[in-house]
Amino acid sequence: MSLRATLTSFALASSLIAAPALAADKVIFQLDWLPGGDKAPIYVCIHDGFCRDAGLNVTIASGRGSTDAISRLAAGSADVGVADIGALLAAKANENVKVTAIFSEFNKGPHALYVIKSGRIGSMADLKGKTIATSPFTSSNFYLPLVLKDKGVESSDVKLIKAEPGSLGPMLMAGNVDGIVAWMTDLTRYRNQGKEAGKEIVVLPWSAAGLELYSASLIANDDFLAKRPEVAKRFVEAYKKSIEFAKAEPAKAAAAVKAIVAEISTEDVEGSLNDTLPLIFNEVTDKDGLGVFEPARLAETWRRVSAAQSIDPAKFDPEKAVTRHFIPAK
Amino acid sequence: MASPAIRFDRLGQVFDTRSGRTEALRDVSFEVARHEFVAILGPSGCGKSTLLRLIAGLLRPTSGSVEVFGLRVGEPRDDIGIVFQKPTLLPWATVEDNVDFPARHKRGRVSPEERERAAALLRMVGLEGFAKRLPDELSGGMQQRVGIARALLMDPDILLMDEPFSALDALTREVMGFDLLRIFAERPKTVVFITHSVSEAALLADRVLVMTGRPGSVLTDVVVPVGRPRGPETANEKAIHDLSAYLRSFLLQKAA
Amino acid sequence: MTSVPTYAASSSKRQPKAMTDPVAGASPFFRRLATAPGMATLGSLIAVVILWELTARIFAIPSYLLPTPSSVIQSFSSIGYDRWFVHVWATLRVAMIGYALSIVIAIPLAILMLRSPFLSRTLYPLLVVVQSTPVVAVAPIIIVSLGAGDAPRVVITCLITFFPLVVSTATGLAATPPELIELSRSLRAPAWREITQIRLPFAVPYIFSALKISITLAVIGAVVAEFCASEAGVGYFIQFSTSMFRLPQAWAGLIVLAAMSLALFQLVLFAQKSLFPWSLPKKD
Ligand SMILES: Nc1ncnc2c1ncn2[C@@H]1O[C@H](COP(=O)(O)OP(=O)(O)O)[C@@H](O)[C@H]1O
Ligand SMILES: [Mg+2]
Repeated sequence: MSLRATLTSFALASSLIAAPALAADKVIFQLDWLPGGDKAPIYVCIHDGFCRDAGLNVTIASGRGSTDAISRLAAGSADVGVADIGALLAAKANENVKVTAIFSEFNKGPHALYVIKSGRIGSMADLKGKTIATSPFTSSNFYLPLVLKDKGVESSDVKLIKAEPGSLGPMLMAGNVDGIVAWMTDLTRYRNQGKEAGKEIVVLPWSAAGLELYSASLIANDDFLAKRPEVAKRFVEAYKKSIEFAKAEPAKAAAAVKAIVAEISTEDVEGSLNDTLPLIFNEVTDKDGLGVFEPARLAETWRRVSAAQSIDPAKFDPEKAVTRHFIPAK
Repeated sequence: MASPAIRFDRLGQVFDTRSGRTEALRDVSFEVARHEFVAILGPSGCGKSTLLRLIAGLLRPTSGSVEVFGLRVGEPRDDIGIVFQKPTLLPWATVEDNVDFPARHKRGRVSPEERERAAALLRMVGLEGFAKRLPDELSGGMQQRVGIARALLMDPDILLMDEPFSALDALTREVMGFDLLRIFAERPKTVVFITHSVSEAALLADRVLVMTGRPGSVLTDVVVPVGRPRGPETANEKAIHDLSAYLRSFLLQKAA
Repeated sequence: MTSVPTYAASSSKRQPKAMTDPVAGASPFFRRLATAPGMATLGSLIAVVILWELTARIFAIPSYLLPTPSSVIQSFSSIGYDRWFVHVWATLRVAMIGYALSIVIAIPLAILMLRSPFLSRTLYPLLVVVQSTPVVAVAPIIIVSLGAGDAPRVVITCLITFFPLVVSTATGLAATPPELIELSRSLRAPAWREITQIRLPFAVPYIFSALKISITLAVIGAVVAEFCASEAGVGYFIQFSTSMFRLPQAWAGLIVLAAMSLALFQLVLFAQKSLFPWSLPKKD
């Protein structure tokens, strides 16, 4: 690309970002992590016009974990975002953060254990006496003891190593650990890494091990909901359409992410999106519908979260952390 | 009779520091006449530099008094030039900028007259043609000449020189001494000159004061029995030799 | 005795360099090339890169362990220059603003501390506390309280670069020869001129050695801040690439980062060389 073309495209790109759509409502969307295929809906919303059609001008802010995203939403630096509802429940129980969940995106937890196919570890129950690695800040760490306990394994019987997220895969391939704790959304990436190392990767989702949870949800700043409820409503509708679009047209959804995040590879986004969709669309969705917080499942989520965080479950009513007011009618 | 240029009257100086009290000077009394060249000899730490600082008003006496031209010294006075043991020039400034530094520092600018005088002083100390050099490009002796020119810029009546040649090699040192004689013959000054060299004191000074060890006080005050002008040949005179020998033995016996 | 004695002049420090040039026999062009600063470094660097590429290929080392130089180079171009420009500019902007802010605060503060022993006594322990607090630990707090935009990242950069600047400047201001301070006092010059004409210039070597340390710290500061919150920047790019398991891309980011630090360092050195040549350490 010539320098002139570079500068022109840069100028064009910045003018696109700078120029607001006419009379559109500005919304800042907070991610709980960096851009990726698992975050495709918001990129679809922006790139494929669902946001624009709803009269919204959305900008994306990346985050560094659910807790980070929730504190930024609470501080008002973003209006609405995506974060783990478990982190929200814990935050609301401990201190009254002014944010509320408005839409459920993942109605299953993404938490999983990755192992190399060898037959040594076939289920979570086989972890006794094994060494596994996890990253320091993932919410999976809270649920690990619960899942182990369900399967009759004491936490003290498993050696847990904390390492940088990027180094978990290499540790597994190199045989430094017997398994790693990671999310279902990264399945393709780990499989590809395994292929490069000549190893076959097996994933053991914790939902299959009995962990029934809501997970990633749309969470909004309370002020935003109080002052601009119409905007919030339109946003959730547009977001829901975007999710459905991503399911129907995963390739186009991946292209939307690539269009906004140039550093990403399309295959990678597609892989991650395909890994993510089963967390959004599954038997729970078939039963309850998309975006719904079903009271019993929400209560079960709180039971698990409070147990994981050693909070008295009676101390907080999980219904106080959600509002169903913004979930679009079917 | 006009008052002397410098007069010490039963001066005492005590330093109180965290590590304790130091009595630097005790009961020091002497006078220096206008345009007289007085050399001071004495062991290290006996308060010679302190004496100079008192004359310049950089230090207040704890007892007794110092007068300059009949007036008690209370604060720093700018009619006094100081030459230090090390040249302590500004490494970033050219030789000429170093010489006219006092004017620039005091008033923020240098007048054309001062610039001219700086050039004349450089000629006088033998550094014509080095005006645009940086101190770093000069030898130690040349740097000290710049220091002397700097001290003379404001044409002070009194020049205080604190072991000005002690960092130089023996030969350079001797040449510098003769140069000083020539400079002061051209333009007489009241000079207080601290040195550790007995022969240098005898050759340059009209009077030599010998001080005791700490607390310092004046042990003896000797007039050099040789007239002026003096030059390289003066160094060979018997009177100078005799005086040097006397001072040397005196220092060896008493002062140390 | 009006001329400078010859022996005084000959005691000058300048002496012709000994002729021990190893490439004295080569043609002038190659001689200049071979002795040009950095040529040897560049040569050995190229050798290492080739060796690395071969090793990675022969032993089929997976890219997530050690990407080959060729894959790193390939990811350079696949990103697109406009994106590189965005990331480099984001990091550079934060690093430079933070660095400038740090200088603008640190130098006057060092002067104030010199003038007021009380301030010096109270500020020093505080500065040490700030310096010994890991920035990574306070960064999230700063980001939550200062919100979006460059402000939190600039503050983090400032925090990291500040300490060496204050301490070095204060040391430099106090390292002035006492004789010159006495000269200044005896001239009864205004106190501020003692600072501007004597102390500050004498502190220049100290200030520049801190400026050289701080410029690399500024890049680190910007990157640390980007790790905690940002939408662009080379640090963000590296973090993003690692999270995508794209190691060659992360390495490309690392190389850009190193090149940035090196270039900025050279820039500071160049500024010192051209503005204050006398302040450089003497070479014989
Ligand atoms: N500012 C000061 N504070 C404390 N002690 C000092 C100070 N100046 C000089 N002294 C002490 O006074 C004594 C005489 O010092 P000085 O005049 O420098 O001696 P000389 O120049 O004869 O070697 C020394 O013991 C020195 O330590
Ligand atoms: Mg002394």
